[in-house]
Amino acid sequence: MASKGLAIAAAIIIIIIIIGAAAYYMTQKPAPTTTTTTSSSASSTSTSSSTTTSAAPSKPVLTGNFEKDVIAIGKYLESKGIHTVKFTVWATGDPNSVMRMYGLYEAAYKINQIWEKNGINVKIVMNKFWESSFKKLYDEFTSAVPQGTNGDFFVNSYIYIANLASQGYILDINSYVEKYWDSVFKDFYTPIMEAAKYKGHYYGVPQDTEARPIYVRKDVAACMGWDISNLAQLVKEGKFTWHDMYKKAEEAVSKGCAKWGLIHRKGSAHPDLIQFIFAYGGKLYDEKTGKLVLDVPAVYKWFMTEYVFAQHKLLPKDMMSWDWAQQIHPTVVNDCKGSPTGCTLFFIGGTWHWTEWQTKAYYYDPSTKKQRPLTPEEEVKKFYYTLFPAGDPGDKPVTLSQPFMWMIAENAGKDNPNYDQLKDVYHELAFLMVVGASDPEINAIHSVISGHVPVRKAAAALLKNETWINDLINMKLNLSPDVKQAIEPIVKKTASKINIQFLANVSYMLEYTHLAPSHPLYPKLAGFFADAINKVLMGEMTPKDAVNYLIQKIKADPQLSANVEIVGSIPSGWSFP
Amino acid sequence: MKIGRKLTLLFFLGPALFIVVLFYIVPLFLSIYISFTPMTDWNINRYLTQFIGLQNYERLIHIMMYDPDMRAVIITTAVFIAVTLAINVFGGLLLALATYFMDEKLSLAYQGLWLLPRMTPVAVYSLLWYYFFHSSGIGLLNAILMRLHLISHPIALGLDPKYLPWGAWFIIIFVNGLVGVSYGMIIFYSAFKSIPKELIIAARVDGASTSRIIRHILLPLTKWHFTFITVWQMLSLLTSFAQIFLLVEWRVVDSTWGQTWALYVFRTAFTTVKDQGLAAAASTFLSIIGIALGLVALKALGYKKMILEPKGDI
Repeated sequence: MASKGLAIAAAIIIIIIIIGAAAYYMTQKPAPTTTTTTSSSASSTSTSSSTTTSAAPSKPVLTGNFEKDVIAIGKYLESKGIHTVKFTVWATGDPNSVMRMYGLYEAAYKINQIWEKNGINVKIVMNKFWESSFKKLYDEFTSAVPQGTNGDFFVNSYIYIANLASQGYILDINSYVEKYWDSVFKDFYTPIMEAAKYKGHYYGVPQDTEARPIYVRKDVAACMGWDISNLAQLVKEGKFTWHDMYKKAEEAVSKGCAKWGLIHRKGSAHPDLIQFIFAYGGKLYDEKTGKLVLDVPAVYKWFMTEYVFAQHKLLPKDMMSWDWAQQIHPTVVNDCKGSPTGCTLFFIGGTWHWTEWQTKAYYYDPSTKKQRPLTPEEEVKKFYYTLFPAGDPGDKPVTLSQPFMWMIAENAGKDNPNYDQLKDVYHELAFLMVVGASDPEINAIHSVISGHVPVRKAAAALLKNETWINDLINMKLNLSPDVKQAIEPIVKKTASKINIQFLANVSYMLEYTHLAPSHPLYPKLAGFFADAINKVLMGEMTPKDAVNYLIQKIKADPQLSANVEIVGSIPSGWSFP
Repeated sequence: MKIGRKLTLLFFLGPALFIVVLFYIVPLFLSIYISFTPMTDWNINRYLTQFIGLQNYERLIHIMMYDPDMRAVIITTAVFIAVTLAINVFGGLLLALATYFMDEKLSLAYQGLWLLPRMTPVAVYSLLWYYFFHSSGIGLLNAILMRLHLISHPIALGLDPKYLPWGAWFIIIFVNGLVGVSYGMIIFYSAFKSIPKELIIAARVDGASTSRIIRHILLPLTKWHFTFITVWQMLSLLTSFAQIFLLVEWRVVDSTWGQTWALYVFRTAFTTVKDQGLAAAASTFLSIIGIALGLVALKALGYKKMILEPKGDI
């Protein structure tokens, strides 16, 4: 019996070995080659042939002249038998920020046009991946790079530059930027350009920036009998502080003018709530030591401010778990009476919300009992905006910017033929695409349709150009058909003179802006801030306990402890409001 | 044992052994290996060959000693496993008994209903409970309780310090228990069904009540299954985190009292700084605890006795 079983087993093993060997042979056998001569079609994907008759072009080196560099790279790639270059962009943001993807599509279109005009048979083909959460996209990117499945372009917040650069996941573009300094990057606003640096080298190119205004509901203020016409000036001068914010919020709720005094973001403390630290005169980074800072007095004051708001039911205790689409936005935009959510006097928002409210159906229209977007005119009627006020008298008002960056993956171009030999050329081409996407017109379009602030002066100038504005509104700009089609619905809803005026009105806020530190461990510290403020809002911890909790969390992790300075102590004799 | 028999055994066990080695043993050793490297952000090229000795373990012990959340993580893990395990095993057993004595068609429909949570994708399933337990008026539970005038304001069951840690524990145990209970139900039910009908009929003829049939026939004959489900579910719960992660991430459940050790490992490895070296050290601890608990459970449930060759007449 046993010998019979053995024979069957041996037979099956032999069969498996034969099948395995056959499969191995099949996989090793080279695929049939398709000898293709150079196609006249620009979209040909042939890579196996080259019909170079004249001397092969030498390896291109960037000169700072966009068209010249594009032609040189095109000719070089063509001489190597490359006729199609594939790039993928991974981008993130609010629904109106699609130019973070299409900016690169537009750049590819312009480069393709240059090549076609010069008889170069190479074409860039773009792919895209969009993720609404910038943190999630970052997580996906860091997991994908080691596997080589990442996008070639990564458009995300500058706060990730430090970590991505230190891990070697994104390209050091310092030498490229230097070449294009005079022709392109000199025009960028210096603080925003500086945010693209890590250890003195550029690892990204600014794509947009923004301010985070406090939105004040005009109808609620009118109901309270509060004249807010001079509020922005008072805030600017530091004469209206968070203590006054509390008094007004309390008045709005007690008079029955609003359900809430204050509403802010959910989920994380970075970036919106970090403004409190700066508003209370604190800091997050020590330039001298290069370490993060836990500024105890400022953090305590932040926690106490929110604690008092929440304890007095002016701010929801469960604010950090509110739903953006179902709770936060509706509460901010809805009428105070007749809407299911009620309303708020203040909202810690961002400039991009201005256009988001015009494209997403957050507003509950009591007359139709349906949700719809607001019109620009309705927004002007509803909202006043100002800087984030100073914490205490004597402190300064602030705002916080989180510039988004075009970053190039260290393996950009990996999906193209002969990557190992042509790596540098693909990198240069990727950089030229970023240069193309930094075109003032693309930057200005993005600003108008997404409510972000331009990163370069030439784009800001376009926003003051009546002819250009009319061309945008009427979609007469010279854009690629694909991009035109993709952004037309957003342009129709958002490209208005009111919105452009809004951008002009908030641009002064950048003079007061702060940036969160570009440090590899900052995201970890910001995560602790989020947990701590949630506990404070929920009443699980007092502000003092929460600060001690933060200190304990930092000290418990040797890595963080070595990178964070804990400065100051809980202020005595300070009270809020 | 003869070589031929050994080869036969190897042949039949081979595929299963291969899968176990490839998907269980190799990852376990890989994880242990990573715990001796400074791996972060999955930077394999840079860190895979850097050996840092016991640094990650030293860091982990330091964190366990001084991090204010770690005590809660350990207690939550113990409570979560103990209570959910009891629900999964005894709940599954009760459901199996109930469906066993039901009409066949009704029984299948009833079982199908209990299987729904298991068939629903994790994200969708978690989203359902997110909207059910949400701390505001959009939460279904709050809406129902307010409609019934049992509460005047929405309650944040998983977040409000008034209800912590019980509220957070209740949500994570409830959500996981509802998925796990169907597993026990299916195994026990099929075990009951495999018992010869004659035994039950004979007992009935002799006047045995349902409870006596359960106590003296059904339960004794399904000891194996009881052992299997207990050990299997315990080890599964020790490493499960998917639903909990989403509920914590969406802030329906408190991040301190809703965090189990497995979730701590996941968050350390995959969120913010992505400290895979440290996470691997933490997961090695989890593996050791899992192996120890598994062995203790097998011993306590008389596994050795069960696998002895029958001593009766042949």
